[in-house]
Amino acid sequence: MNLRDVTMQSRKANGRARSKVVGLAVSAMLFSASLTQAQDGPDYEDLLAGFADAERWLTYSGDYSGKRHSPLTQITPENVARLRPVWTFQAGTTTRGRGFETTPLVDDGVLYVTGSNNYAWAIDARSGRSFWQYQRNLPNNLTYGASAPVNRGFGMLGNRLFMVTLDAHLLAFDRRSGEVLWDIELADYRIGYAATLAPLVVDDKVIVGISGGEYATRGFIDAYDPETGARLWRFNTIPRPGEPGSETWPDDPEILARGGGGTWMNGSYDPELNLIYWGVGNPNPDYYGDQRPGDNLYSNSLVALDADTGELRWHYQFTPHDLNDWDSNHMPVLAEIEWQGSSRQVVMVGNRNGFFYVLDRVTGELLLGKPFTATTWARELDADGRPIILNDGSQGCLPDPWGSTNFMPPTFYPGLDLFILTARETCATFVPEEPANQPGVANFGGVVYIDGEQGSGALRALDVHTGDLVWEFTYPSPTFGGVMSTASGLVFAGDHEGNFMAFDAQTGENLWHYQTGSRIWGAAAMTFMLDGQQLVLIPSGTTLTAFALEPLN
Amino acid sequence: MLLLQQIVTSSFTLFRIACRAYRPTSAIVLVGLCWVSISAHAQEINPLAGNARAQYAGGVLFRAQCATCHGADATGIESIDAPDLTAMWRERAYSDRQVFDIIRDGIAGTIMPPHDFTETEVWMLVSFLRSVGESGVENLPVADSGLGATLFNNHCAECHRVTNAGGVLGPNLSDVLRRNSLADITASVRQPSALITSGYKAVRVNTNAGENIQGVLKNEDAFSFQIVDTNQQLRAFRKHDAVLTEQRESLMPAFAESELSEQELLAILNYIQSATGATP
Repeated sequence: MNLRDVTMQSRKANGRARSKVVGLAVSAMLFSASLTQAQDGPDYEDLLAGFADAERWLTYSGDYSGKRHSPLTQITPENVARLRPVWTFQAGTTTRGRGFETTPLVDDGVLYVTGSNNYAWAIDARSGRSFWQYQRNLPNNLTYGASAPVNRGFGMLGNRLFMVTLDAHLLAFDRRSGEVLWDIELADYRIGYAATLAPLVVDDKVIVGISGGEYATRGFIDAYDPETGARLWRFNTIPRPGEPGSETWPDDPEILARGGGGTWMNGSYDPELNLIYWGVGNPNPDYYGDQRPGDNLYSNSLVALDADTGELRWHYQFTPHDLNDWDSNHMPVLAEIEWQGSSRQVVMVGNRNGFFYVLDRVTGELLLGKPFTATTWARELDADGRPIILNDGSQGCLPDPWGSTNFMPPTFYPGLDLFILTARETCATFVPEEPANQPGVANFGGVVYIDGEQGSGALRALDVHTGDLVWEFTYPSPTFGGVMSTASGLVFAGDHEGNFMAFDAQTGENLWHYQTGSRIWGAAAMTFMLDGQQLVLIPSGTTLTAFALEPLN
Repeated sequence: MLLLQQIVTSSFTLFRIACRAYRPTSAIVLVGLCWVSISAHAQEINPLAGNARAQYAGGVLFRAQCATCHGADATGIESIDAPDLTAMWRERAYSDRQVFDIIRDGIAGTIMPPHDFTETEVWMLVSFLRSVGESGVENLPVADSGLGATLFNNHCAECHRVTNAGGVLGPNLSDVLRRNSLADITASVRQPSALITSGYKAVRVNTNAGENIQGVLKNEDAFSFQIVDTNQQLRAFRKHDAVLTEQRESLMPAFAESELSEQELLAILNYIQSATGATP
């Protein structure tokens, strides 16, 4: 039998196949890794459309705004009690002390999932069975990456996937084969760098940040060409001597060069303003501030950058001269809300320091800053938006270094105008010590005593106009689970005890729970339609679980 | 980095001197004594490389300590995800030192545990694993790589990839010269169905809706299967919706000598070598 004839016959029967084969051959002849091969996956227009296609979830938050609010309505407060697992996927790789933090992407019935230790998979969304698995051959002398060997997901454009690695590289994959198309170094992992976030694809750029603020590093936000991996721009989160912001540091290039300011959580994007919004982490050393008098910009800030050039448009610093490791690496949430009688384009942040903030995202003007936990660090901001600090940490009972919340995604529920986040009530005492500042060595600058007896957690819904608590659901321990909402009036959240739960968005009433068997840590749910059914996915421990109202099989 | 290299070089020199000094004694003792002189510094290169007795001793140790998971011939046991160690050199481009570290430290997050072997024992294992590792094409005969590029694009690129150009229906050929002997490559071109690489088994899918699809099988369980179809798209089916039939023949057409001469095949391989910078 001549197989060539057979394959040609089948192609002739399918015009789509034939045209694609021609396209492949042409691009191969051009000897280029051209995106002309990748017409099938989502393009930039699809990414801009966000949730428009109910069968897709194409970016970390589902759309550029970071609201994590899906328009799907099949699962409702009335029927959510019938939600049951459809399948589970076992990653077979784990991270002690951290979580399975990824948000899967889905397109055309295929999930694209990253895991701990730089594993990754393409998974059939109907059965939970994989098409391919990737596992990076990591060096055994990882620095920051060894302490948090996690990953939060892929970015996608066309047939390409983008993933960052624990040895601080950025990879592009062919999503059909799991093969690496290019592999570039973001920074030298041996100094202390690593990368864990889900790349943000904006037009013809792949935008990533970096981890490693616990080491003598300088943070940055980078944009890369999706086709070649060439770097297009870099924004340094800690200025060089003489640059704007350097006046908030000692006049010492060495201190600036190891000033920290990691950018390890995803940002959001406003296509109208062409601005990306990104959180910046702690200054280095974390707890010891005597070597770095000043506000230490742009540590613990939100920065708004021009997406084409990486130029800083505005910034707001939540925690000047941080001494408590309160990175501001949170998903900035973009929304249009009524503000004192007129409509405002705002960006909202629930911060590790215990305050909830609303800023005008065009100008950076602070509209609201109010505590959402019992933080004793500060209780109010002054007229200039600076915190009136009551306790630097030496007197105990601040939020611990993990913060009043952390990078686990919150959700914004439009209409109800609720910002719903995981709150942590903790108590810790900070004892600074002068550190050695050696490259490749973690550089906390002190020790922290956490009072384990006093910790608790809660899912809290805040009125974005006032910051007032509208409802809460309390957890027995400080929790790291993220939050998602759906337009049917539901909120999905996970807790430290392993429960995946659904709540009534208006009242906070718990409507459903499922014990996943491992704490839900750093991850939030995602949802999409498949064969007319709404699926909800949550990673937990080593397991990715899919839920639907009726079994699919 | 320079400093590290100097240390390695100088200790390696010491090793050689020591070996020369103890040459009259038995090989086993020699190995041990040589080791004394070099163990103070981390080695990048296997100090026992090429030592036949070390290879043999490593094999004994391997069968006693490693074969439960990796198989007596080191080709792995798929059902427990124990990888084929004969393929790891080419698949992952490991250095001796990296394999040394994996044996000693294990792989976090997997069942590969750390091992309490002496450094000499670990290097013996590395020597054994090198000896059973697959080797690629040595001394590829020179042919016209320009012609090879044309032939590759006409006959291969539709399904196979070299660097980043080409299809994904068949295996990526970028590493083909590092992975396989010339005889193996020739055989796979002349008789592609004789040995089909895992993950590229040809299948036919007949759906209840009347669709007839060809592709390669990526995964399967009792209720579902996952393929890459001939459109080079990921597709999955539930078994009650479709019948899966495995094909004996590969989707790759067989190229007889009359269709693709030996010289033309060499031209293609020369093109792959130049396109990938491969030095097998």
